[in-house]
Amino acid sequence: MPELLTVLVYGLVQAAVLLLVALGFSVTFGLSGIPNFSHGGVYILSGFVCWFSLRKLGWPYPLAVAASVAVAATVGLLVYAAVIRPVRRLVLAEVIATFAVGVAMLELFRWMGLVTYEFNLPAVVAGSVALGDVVVDAHRLVVVASAAGLGLALWWFGRATRTGLALRAMAQEEYTALSLGIREDRMAALSVVLGSALAAVAAVLVLPLGLISINLGYDAMLVALAVTVTGGTERTAGLVLAALLLGLSTVVAGVLIGPHWSEVVYLAAIVAVLAVRPSGILGRLKELEERV
Amino acid sequence: MVFYENALALNEVSVQLNPAEVVGVFGSNGAGKTTLLNTVAGLTLVYARREARRGGVRVTVAGQVRLEGQDVTAWDVPERVRRGLVLCRERHAVFRDLTVSENLRLGGYLRSRAEVEESVAFACELMPPLRRLWRKPAGMLSGGEQQMVAIGMALAARPRWLLLDEPLLGLSPALQAEIVRVVGEIRRHGVAVLVAEQYARAVLPVVDRGYVVESGALVLSGTRSELASQAEVQAAYFGGSWASPRTHP
Repeated sequence: MPELLTVLVYGLVQAAVLLLVALGFSVTFGLSGIPNFSHGGVYILSGFVCWFSLRKLGWPYPLAVAASVAVAATVGLLVYAAVIRPVRRLVLAEVIATFAVGVAMLELFRWMGLVTYEFNLPAVVAGSVALGDVVVDAHRLVVVASAAGLGLALWWFGRATRTGLALRAMAQEEYTALSLGIREDRMAALSVVLGSALAAVAAVLVLPLGLISINLGYDAMLVALAVTVTGGTERTAGLVLAALLLGLSTVVAGVLIGPHWSEVVYLAAIVAVLAVRPSGILGRLKELEERV
Repeated sequence: MVFYENALALNEVSVQLNPAEVVGVFGSNGAGKTTLLNTVAGLTLVYARREARRGGVRVTVAGQVRLEGQDVTAWDVPERVRRGLVLCRERHAVFRDLTVSENLRLGGYLRSRAEVEESVAFACELMPPLRRLWRKPAGMLSGGEQQMVAIGMALAARPRWLLLDEPLLGLSPALQAEIVRVVGEIRRHGVAVLVAEQYARAVLPVVDRGYVVESGALVLSGTRSELASQAEVQAAYFGGSWASPRTHP
């Protein structure tokens, strides 16, 4: 019974981590159809910016976080303007171009020698909390609360603000949105900027759970793809459900088989969903479903 | 003129819309009505640029769009909407996952909050069912209700010139009559309406003037009574191609 509780608690934490890491990629892809695979590079860049602001510049934590988000958003805008915009709507070109940017960023960090143990971020809250027989770092609970808060904030943004409504409208009926004066180019850029900013939020919350490792950038791309494909992009609830399923599955796989099996879980989820329900668990893209 | 590759979609079509009048553009499926309205609204230019960027269909647009004498041909869609030239697209173009309230608010995307509130109130006054459906997702509404939402969205943009593309498509005769009444009310409030319809018979009572297009070319024009009195129009009304009632899915 205590083991079950441990699996549930850590499964929930893992689900929150996955949701945070995937949210930026999913939001961009869901709103504008742009598969922004520079996500992993921006994620790690944000971690380094936060680290540099804290350790080298001595900035307070909130300012370092703000700097990370600002840099990530700016990089997102630059990636959109310089790389995505010229190949917009050529899906394969978008995938290749953004993937190349992500890999280039990560390998640049490796080439710069940013691979030592000194690159770590502090926990938002120190200490630990006992949940029954299970002891959890307070920071992991912050991660769970932040994932829930961010999900709710995005839900509110999409319904209560004019820009959020315009982004959702553009994703649903593009030409009708255009006929109302909504600028497609601006919305697409905004979706990439928003996704990149969310990658930075994920970085400052998730990277304190370990070191800032360049390989985590590649993991972030895989996680983002797995959660997005599994959940579908049309509804936040689908992403949450996918994160919960994958989070619990990876923890169970880690306990029963071994921790290195988690990536197999992600890949298996991608293959299974594409084979059975290609628009995702809660996806509603009929044209995809009809192909199965 | 509008070409899709080498196919001529619109050829030498010229229409004029004066303040507070309702002008009909009639023609059968594929006659060029939607292309005409999309071109006036600026959407054909967007499509042309997009296709050019991805190396798709080559779209060529020639001619002029003038608003109160000013050439706005090169203006993009938001500028035209801001000026009051608003398109309500065909096939009940609503955002299916958004509620009626969200759809209407979004219609006034380029307007201030106060302007949106005022114009949405006007839309609800014209089409009272909108209030009852306020919180429902637009995708769950009937075709007639969706058409009301689509017109409400266009009204929220505060048009001075409203382009209505096949507003009666797929509606029952009773709902068609209701939409025609709404068009008349919109005109009564000073908005000029250019309405494209295949089913001319239903909309003719509210139209001041009309054009008939076939295969992308203008074949007839005149006032309502002139159109109604012409033998070929009469023939078309009662069994011809462009005015015959359609069977709706």
